[in-house]
Amino acid sequence: MSTDEREADRRARFEVIARELIDPLRHYLARRTDHATADDVLSDTLLVCWRRLDDVPDNALPWAYGVARNCLANAQRGERRRLRLAAKITVVAPPERATPSPSARDDELLEAMAALRPEDAELLRLWAWEQLAPAEIATVLQVSANAASIRLHRAREKLRDELRKVQQVSGHEQSREGRGS
Amino acid sequence: MSDEHDELRARLRAADPASSLARPDPDRVARLLEDTMSHTETQESRAHGTRQRSPLTWLVAAAAVVIIAGVGVFAVMNRDTGTPSAGPEQSPTTSGDSVTELQAPGAGATTGRCLPPSADVLAGADVAFDGTVEGIRGDLVTLQTTRWYAGEPTDLVTVKGPSEDLQALLAAVDFQDGGRYLVAASDSGKVMVCGFSAAHTQRLERLYGRAFGQ
Repeated sequence: MSTDEREADRRARFEVIARELIDPLRHYLARRTDHATADDVLSDTLLVCWRRLDDVPDNALPWAYGVARNCLANAQRGERRRLRLAAKITVVAPPERATPSPSARDDELLEAMAALRPEDAELLRLWAWEQLAPAEIATVLQVSANAASIRLHRAREKLRDELRKVQQVSGHEQSREGRGS
Repeated sequence: MSDEHDELRARLRAADPASSLARPDPDRVARLLEDTMSHTETQESRAHGTRQRSPLTWLVAAAAVVIIAGVGVFAVMNRDTGTPSAGPEQSPTTSGDSVTELQAPGAGATTGRCLPPSADVLAGADVAFDGTVEGIRGDLVTLQTTRWYAGEPTDLVTVKGPSEDLQALLAAVDFQDGGRYLVAASDSGKVMVCGFSAAHTQRLERLYGRAFGQ
């Protein structure tokens, strides 16, 4: 096979893989960062996939989520430094985040998720939003499948505990309001 | 058990902030793919010497140019004030790469006699990292970091100083473009010489490992 043919082959392979990846990656990033950063990190992630095409496994998506996760961490590290510096000079508006409309917001769930450790909340997001199985979560987080499975189990238990706590508090408030009126 | 899981998963899914994300525009996807593939092709069609470099290298190079321009202006503006302020400083660049700024030690430090480097002394360094020299231009050496032993990690480190100090440091550490180095600096942001900062060797890496418990 000539160099040109190999190159054409490589391009064709990348196009097939990347077209499958783009939409899930856009969702993954929209859930975790602002619009502009999501666009940048998507480009970075695709670039890594293109350069490391030979390393992309058959089940490419969890692997690509892992790449996006690293690219996002890098972008956010740079952004934090930039904001720290900018904050000395002026007040910077926080990046806009994709949030559900207020009417559809499950405040109890958001509160319970916010009470979890960030690692646990991220596991639950990968499980529920990206709909990954424990073995796939393991690929994203670069841990063993067994560890991902155990952590996911614990994270679910913790979320249930937090939800119970939140519901108890809001239940008390409602009963107090009821007595007061 | 599984029903409970399904219920929890469904509740989480209902709170998915990206559930209403529109489908991507096919034209944009095509452009994105084309941009991605042409990005690396540019690298590959270049001369042999640059084909190993990642696209990030070019970002880093662009960042270095910005830093050099900045330092040039700084040097002109501060000609009367002598050495720039002490301490390792961190600053962002326009490309988003974070940078730790170090200084060459005074000329005296690079010509005196040295004891063999020890892990105990090295452990006192405030900044220590493993990195590759990305460029040496005028009074500035830029390194891209790969591993941090001490100090807050940044993507790049620059070492700058009055020309004669930097020349002395270059001679002491022998910074070569593209070379891999282990570099340590004291709390004032001055690069430690006397064998503490030098070209990467397994032996020096072990010393860094011992000093910083890694």
